[in-house]
Amino acid sequence: MPIDEPSSNIPLADVLRAANGLVAAKLIEDWALGGALAAIYYVEPFTTYDADIFFIPADKGLTAGIPAIYAHLQSQGWQVEREHLVVRGFPVQFLAASGLTEEAVREAERIEFEGVPAKIFRAEHIVAIAASVGRPKDKARIEQLFQQADLDKTKLENILQRHKLKLPTP
Amino acid sequence: MKLEMRQKLSREPFAEKIRKVGQLIRLAKTFPRRVSKPTPAHPSAK
Repeated sequence: MPIDEPSSNIPLADVLRAANGLVAAKLIEDWALGGALAAIYYVEPFTTYDADIFFIPADKGLTAGIPAIYAHLQSQGWQVEREHLVVRGFPVQFLAASGLTEEAVREAERIEFEGVPAKIFRAEHIVAIAASVGRPKDKARIEQLFQQADLDKTKLENILQRHKLKLPTP
Repeated sequence: MKLEMRQKLSREPFAEKIRKVGQLIRLAKTFPRRVSKPTPAHPSAK
């Protein structure tokens, strides 16, 4: 598909395919889409400029295998721009998961996007992660998810309790 | 935007929502937000 077609602005299928490729190459154990694009799965579309892929490293060392991940994707034409890897002009961050985000990866929902199998954070984990980060935009995300997503309140309460988190006060 | 409309948008297929995010990015790049300077007619200019 040509790059200037409207539907190709965000090459999400390429991103998801690449993440699956990292599992196949045994560079990561598992992964899931998190961040704003995961939130958009549950709420209205809003502007975001990158994709966040959370991964469980295969390499448990200090670097979490990030140099090998970068080398693998660069060999496939991805470019490095500061903290992002860029595919077809769209920045992607690969973030090593731990604690709450590792749980979010393991329990992520399986989806298929344009024929590509993928995993995406559940809404309850997105709320809990936003509560743990606590920036103004995270508070707005929590409010948006409460208004628009079909949240499992029992599951959310359980996650918040286990990770000793509290929802921000309105 | 009304809550009802926003909830309707939230129920659209994910691929459609991603397409709309792409449109929003293009719009934001075409019409970047500018911080407006207060003019003398603006109450906060004084």
